Amino acid sequence: MSNWERLVWNQRGVLLQGLAVTVEVCLIAFAVAIVGGLTLCLIRMYFRPLRHIAIVLIEFFRATPIFVQLMWVTYVWPELFGWPNSFFTAGWLALGLQSSGYLAETFRAGIEGVARGHREAGYSVGMSPLLVFHRIVMPQTVLTVSPSIVNQFTVIVKSSTLVSVITVQDLMFQAMKLVNVWYEPIEILTVTAGLYIVLVFLVSTAGKMLADLLRRRYGLAAA
Amino acid sequence: MSGAFWQSVDLSLFWEYRRVLLAGLLFNVYVFACSATVALAVGLAAALLRVNRSWPFRWIGTVHVEVFRNAPDYIMVVWVHFVLPLLLGALIGRRLELHPFVSAVIALGFVYSGYFAETFRAGIQAVPIGHVEAARACGMADRLILRRIILPQVVRRMLPEAVNQFVSLFKATTIVSLIAVPDLMYQVSMVTATEMRPLPLYTGAALTYFAVIYFVATGVRLLSERWRNKIYA
Repeated sequence: MSNWERLVWNQRGVLLQGLAVTVEVCLIAFAVAIVGGLTLCLIRMYFRPLRHIAIVLIEFFRATPIFVQLMWVTYVWPELFGWPNSFFTAGWLALGLQSSGYLAETFRAGIEGVARGHREAGYSVGMSPLLVFHRIVMPQTVLTVSPSIVNQFTVIVKSSTLVSVITVQDLMFQAMKLVNVWYEPIEILTVTAGLYIVLVFLVSTAGKMLADLLRRRYGLAAA
Repeated sequence: MSGAFWQSVDLSLFWEYRRVLLAGLLFNVYVFACSATVALAVGLAAALLRVNRSWPFRWIGTVHVEVFRNAPDYIMVVWVHFVLPLLLGALIGRRLELHPFVSAVIALGFVYSGYFAETFRAGIQAVPIGHVEAARACGMADRLILRRIILPQVVRRMLPEAVNQFVSLFKATTIVSLIAVPDLMYQVSMVTATEMRPLPLYTGAALTYFAVIYFVATGVRLLSERWRNKIYA
């Protein structure tokens, strides 16, 4: 029986379980990042009283390393706010917050990139500001920022390896556990690294195809 | 905001341990400097492979970029620290162990070389082919063309992108604490283990990293912008 069979194939159940947790954490964090990023961006652009708070938050999320933020959310937030109450929650929350800072700036660039004339044309035919935003600004923004959003999702997947440090049982956690049981890291770690590389590669390829499709379908001249 | 709140935010503990923590931050800078050097050198080599005329070289370059750009930093650090010494040891038939610092520099250097390779490649391909042809017509050797004609233009063009990647690399240096390189995060978790007060320590660490990264990055961006403007005119 080869090492590969003993250490990797026979442990596939555990590894797949870990992979499922990784996917779960990433998806929740991605949703949080999009909602949070859009909120921060809209506050920053359109809601004056809270504008400076939004800017500080965005800059803080962007300029703090994800590992530091993860530890901060996990060990400091429960003491400050009484939440999050589980490591799993802390994991996706930290990943989501970090990316929401980046996405807020991405959205802002996208919204500011919409030609001024488009908005004015909307107003001149009597559309309300909300309708202009919903029908004219947002569709164009989604098209222009979709590649950056996908890119940010790959960043989330890559950073999600760190949640294993706070004992969330993702793929990385299970791999390290197996290493600590068998003391034979070569096969397990190589396979895990390979899995992650393939996963990120698939996500970015699929995302690129989706973004291309959107652009071709809804055409975006000279964007 | 009650008094109890501010009492728990109290950063005096952070101040008390400033010696150790500052030494940790310096270690971050040290890891950053070494792995940035590795990343730039390997990245340039990979970029040159990717623009090579013969396809096997191009293919190697592409594989390098795809593997390292898609690999999470953390697993690469762990892999280099635990697996690479075993493989190399089997190759030379001797037991081998890597110092955590060396593992960190190799892993981060190679991961970021993937990103730098793409930046270099974009810069190289943006150099007008006429410049290279003109140099060749003057009888310059390929190596001289690279050094005198291509690289100076590439460096100026890739600078803003490169600054972003240096920032990411510096942020990534915080994970080396996980293989026991004594950086700021490592020291913070050590102090937390003895003092049992994570709040001031982790908050202090987050604020420190934020201040360093935000102000240094803004400053460097400003300087590089000015330098680029002066040269492009």
